[in-house]
Amino acid sequence: MDSSGDEALDIIITNVVATFRTRCHLNLRTIALEGTNVIYKPEVGKVLMKLRKPKITASIWSSGKIICTGATSEDEAKLGARRLARLLQKLGFKVRFSAFKVVNVLAVCSMPFAVHLIDFTKNNRPIASYEPELHPAAMYRIKTLKATVQVFSTGSLTITGPNVQNVAAAVEYIYPLLYECQKPLCK
Amino acid sequence: MSLVGSCPSCGSSNIVDDDLYAQAQLVCADCGCVVSEGVLADDPVGGSDVSYSRTTAVTKQPCLNHRKGLERVKEICRILRLRLEIEDLAQTYFKQAFEHESFIRVTLQKKEVLAGCCVLLSCRQLNWPITIGTISCLLNADPALVGGVYLEMLKILNVEPSTLNITDVLEAHCREYKISSSHVPEELAEDSKDLMKRAVALVELAAHSWIVTGRRPVPIMMATIYLAWQSLNPNKLRLKFSLGKFCQLAKVQKSKPALARTAELKETLCKLGKEIPWVGETVTPGNVVKLVGDILEHRYVLLSRALRTHEDTMQAEHQSGPVDPPTGEMVQISERVDQTAAASSVEQLCSRNERDKQAEEGDAPDCEPNWGKRLLFAPPCVIHAKKRRVEQPMLEVTGDEEISDSEIDSYIRSPREVRDFIRTQEVLSSSSSGTL
Repeated sequence: MDSSGDEALDIIITNVVATFRTRCHLNLRTIALEGTNVIYKPEVGKVLMKLRKPKITASIWSSGKIICTGATSEDEAKLGARRLARLLQKLGFKVRFSAFKVVNVLAVCSMPFAVHLIDFTKNNRPIASYEPELHPAAMYRIKTLKATVQVFSTGSLTITGPNVQNVAAAVEYIYPLLYECQKPLCK
Repeated sequence: MSLVGSCPSCGSSNIVDDDLYAQAQLVCADCGCVVSEGVLADDPVGGSDVSYSRTTAVTKQPCLNHRKGLERVKEICRILRLRLEIEDLAQTYFKQAFEHESFIRVTLQKKEVLAGCCVLLSCRQLNWPITIGTISCLLNADPALVGGVYLEMLKILNVEPSTLNITDVLEAHCREYKISSSHVPEELAEDSKDLMKRAVALVELAAHSWIVTGRRPVPIMMATIYLAWQSLNPNKLRLKFSLGKFCQLAKVQKSKPALARTAELKETLCKLGKEIPWVGETVTPGNVVKLVGDILEHRYVLLSRALRTHEDTMQAEHQSGPVDPPTGEMVQISERVDQTAAASSVEQLCSRNERDKQAEEGDAPDCEPNWGKRLLFAPPCVIHAKKRRVEQPMLEVTGDEEISDSEIDSYIRSPREVRDFIRTQEVLSSSSSGTL
């Protein structure tokens, strides 16, 4: 339940991006040969590996840096990363799971009212920007939380931030601003 | 005194520094013998510290592309017939943006696009209505590229221009349509002033019913001009004209979303047309065009009536005392309707709404799956909401669970599989090279 309304707003996390390091050099050819569910991209210098459970795609570089995308929660991202590290261990590399960090969280949320974007942009200039010819949503960047919110006229929000807490805080922050711009203002 | 010691000719140690013509010299004070002398020219080895071009240049000249860009900015302003201050502002922006590292080493096309974007920005700052579409047409560039350059430029210059107001652009857009009596036969011709006036009213109505927010301006303008043209003289001939034919007639390029906007606008007009007391037949999108004139003339009254009817229907459906949260639209409308004769009825309506609000304070509204269906006017995507995919049940994870071996093994190929894999790859590569 958030404090700003009678109803609780559902914040649905759609993507969590996390990175970690294996502290050892990885031979991409070996991984491509001996691993199933892998796509080797020699031109870029990485291997894409897809896990089934949790549903995660990992980009593996030979330096030992790995980026995991596709998780739906921070814990899931950690589990997926650990699975991956274990897998690489089994393939014969001296892996040490370290420097795990959630880098980006993408969430969607829906307001139970429509938002008049031009009024919203006028009230919140210069933090909000809106170009109807380029993108149908208004972009609002919250510097303190390092979060970006895209507000659509239907009341849907897309929030990106460094972690789940910031994303929730961003929704709390922006709710009153959106509530003000529910209906078109009179001239 | 010097560090040399003694004079070679007389042996005296009385040696002084004596500068002759700015040349440093060590001279014996007793016999006048020159002990040593410095170099006349004191240039460091390998050339001086200051380069030749810098020593001889008067001021830094802008490079050729910079000058060309400024010329292009001037050209675009002349084509669009903009005021001198817009031209000056655009040139200032260009000078600033061009020297920035994001734009100094890009392709020539991008530099030209930058010139156009500077014009666009200065128009926005000085309230001259112009769309990104117009600029991309002038530059003959992809609108996406123009958009990208424009946003980057805003970031660099740290400027936040005001958002485009669609009614302002409508006038310029209207002029493009060749519908006057000199271009088309008399039955199809329309004076641009009347067309503009009606189109503006339609746009305002569209803005109020959530058709405008979040959408591109050009299709909306096209739809309103089309409906305005049809409704100003709704004879059989005009009503037969489809949007595509109308665009052909007016020599404008049709935009696909304009059809959807026309349909949405007609739906809104129908909702209002139903409330006209002297119309007997049912109002459908087919026959609403004839009523557009009347609808626009009395639109505020019709809006309030439509909302009241909607509220009553909702109340009847729920069959309970407290009504759904009264829409703020009612309160907004009341301020605008002050001048019309129906003011008293609307005020009564508003006071009733406030009483309802107070009665309803304690109740939490029910969470209906689609709040858009409750309201009379809502963004079309909400009214016709797409069905969400059934979400898969979320796994209960903690992140620190045990990982079983068998699970990991499913991701690793056995040695035999590896050999098969290598063999298959070799076969495939040899066959592909063989066919080549």
